[in-house]
Amino acid sequence: MRFDSRTKDKRFLAAILFFVVLLTLVPMAALHAQQAARGRGGPPAGPVKRRPDGKPDISGYYNSPNAGGAAFNIEPGPPAVGQPATQGAITDPPDKLIPYTPAAKAKRDDLLAHHLYDDPEAHCLPSGIPRQTYAPFGWQILQPDGYIVMLYEAFHAYRILPLDGRPHVAKGVKFWEGDGRARWDGDTLVIDTTNQTGKTWFDMAGNFTTETLHVVEKFTPIDSNTMNWEATMDDPAVYTRPWTISARITKNNSPNYQILEFACHEGEQDLIHYTQEEGNKNGPKAQKK
Amino acid sequence: MKRIIRTLLVASLTLSFAAAISAGGQSYKPPRTSEGLPDLQGIWEAHNAADADIQKFLVGGGTLPYTPEAAKQKAENAKNAKKADPLAQCFLAGVPRTMYLHHPFQLFEGTGYALVTSEYAHTFRYVPMDGRPHIMGLDSWMGDARGKWDGDTLLVDTTDFGDRTWFDSVGNFHSSDLHVIERFTRTGPDVLTYEATIEDPKTFTKPFTIRMTLNRHTEKNFQILEYECYAI
Repeated sequence: MRFDSRTKDKRFLAAILFFVVLLTLVPMAALHAQQAARGRGGPPAGPVKRRPDGKPDISGYYNSPNAGGAAFNIEPGPPAVGQPATQGAITDPPDKLIPYTPAAKAKRDDLLAHHLYDDPEAHCLPSGIPRQTYAPFGWQILQPDGYIVMLYEAFHAYRILPLDGRPHVAKGVKFWEGDGRARWDGDTLVIDTTNQTGKTWFDMAGNFTTETLHVVEKFTPIDSNTMNWEATMDDPAVYTRPWTISARITKNNSPNYQILEFACHEGEQDLIHYTQEEGNKNGPKAQKK
Repeated sequence: MKRIIRTLLVASLTLSFAAAISAGGQSYKPPRTSEGLPDLQGIWEAHNAADADIQKFLVGGGTLPYTPEAAKQKAENAKNAKKADPLAQCFLAGVPRTMYLHHPFQLFEGTGYALVTSEYAHTFRYVPMDGRPHIMGLDSWMGDARGKWDGDTLLVDTTDFGDRTWFDSVGNFHSSDLHVIERFTRTGPDVLTYEATIEDPKTFTKPFTIRMTLNRHTEKNFQILEYECYAI
């Protein structure tokens, strides 16, 4: 086990606190419960729908994938209080661990042990790519002329992905959600994302990024309700080889469902729950067991 | 003889054409999207001073029709505007203010929806256009929008606001009873006429409308960037 039990418990305590507070924070949660109570509804899965130009029609609402508990930890993690074990989302390499260089692994371990407070999502900062896809709460795909647009309830984030083959913006320009370019490779939507800030994390367990991260996502429709999602990360600054995560993404066909407003920064009351040991100088001290 | 008839015909056609153009000075016909919708899509931005005081954009001129009590509050807001402006804390800008901040927004359309994605604080406004009713009862910064086409004009009806946004940086404000009806009309290839009618019986004695033009960004490969106000 890579984490001692003290670190592990703290990590999951922080995670649980984050989610509990997040849920009570967002007044729309109750509405979503109502929407869910109306039933998933919608048509049973059929063949992949097509647009007039023959490309797959993947527009619609989607559920946030569990992705092996990736929102908590993208790697496999042990079970903890109130929280099942995370299986992790990594499908390559086979050991399901991020192929960090030794220096990068030391940095991750330090973030995990002492700086959970610095999780950018906890500060209402945008999730970055690929974390945005498995951030909790639902999301939506639109296919207006010339673009793929993704709208997320979490942090009211969006991604505008041009399909016209334009190059990425200049190297020095950095975006929290990266600079995404989309193209169709047969029925697979491929999104190439660069120009990220290097300030985002993959999860709540200190797995960090740098600004040379290059992410290639593949969304492959399986039927009218399901897509397979894969994201391959390459960054010679911190990894010894590229690595891949994947998840099954399902549609939310609830009638009249819509994304509600997640005004995170406007109502933030969570950070105070992070302890001093996790990096919050103004937070409470960790409870001794 | 044939030539004279042809000349007369051409002349009369030219005249009627010219008459049509001058009669319909605002009758620019927007192109259609691949789905046959009036195409208002593009990246638009206000190059005006609406955020410095919406009163100057009031249709018919005059002053905003505040109730006496609300007028006092407005004066108070104006005095403390530098600190009290919700944007000073990087909060979401609300409606209609988001549409005329000095940040571009991109307008998308499809069957059953319109979408506004604005650069300021990565805000989006998804506008269902499938006839579904408002949610009602939400307290939200950006409101709950519903749209429909009125000819070539996009009509957006937004309710469910809280009372914490302003209309501009000088303290023009509203209550949670705010109801905004916006009209987006493409009046030229690169010009959008934007109107917002504001109803709020708690704050104003009658509805009022502001109007302005927004300009389309035509630079090659122009794209919405990020303005992450609080991400220092």
